[in-house]
Amino acid sequence: MNAFVWAAIGLLVPFFPLLAVAVWRRPIDGLVALECAGALLVLVLLCLAEGFHRSFEYAVAIVAALMTWIGGLVFARFLGRWL
Amino acid sequence: MTNVAVDILLALAVLLELACVAGVLFMPTTFDRLHYAGAAATVPAFLVLAAVLCREHLSGGGLEAIAAVALLFFLFPVLLTSTARAIARVERKESS
Repeated sequence: MNAFVWAAIGLLVPFFPLLAVAVWRRPIDGLVALECAGALLVLVLLCLAEGFHRSFEYAVAIVAALMTWIGGLVFARFLGRWL
Repeated sequence: MTNVAVDILLALAVLLELACVAGVLFMPTTFDRLHYAGAAATVPAFLVLAAVLCREHLSGGGLEAIAAVALLFFLFPVLLTSTARAIARVERKESS
């Protein structure tokens, strides 16, 4: 295990409190937690790609960054209109 | 020397991300939480990118890491603005 894998593990830990926020608080607070988790996910994927020396996983991080953005926009639009 | 730099950069990135998540958890208003969520996509992301570039330099992996962090950095403000508008609408509806 190298430093990148340890960093990925360290960055995975905050997902649990963010999940708790998404479950227990208002939906709009859950959206904020979801966006924060998306930013975390991109960094976790970057760390895992470097930690395991798998160059194709960098593309997964790029796709995750795009999907975080698109998903967040859809949820923000939905919550702003219908809640 | 490179290993020490990578360790320091990654440790700082993890600490700052934890601080941002703590802000999302404990700040009193939704706008404050959004502020901390936005911060998660800026400085810690560049610290991780710097650590990756220390190892990869400008190879294919390094360039893809730059692309991922650039997407995060440049697209996230649009998302935050849209979310802030949604928060304002929701709070206006709740107060009326």
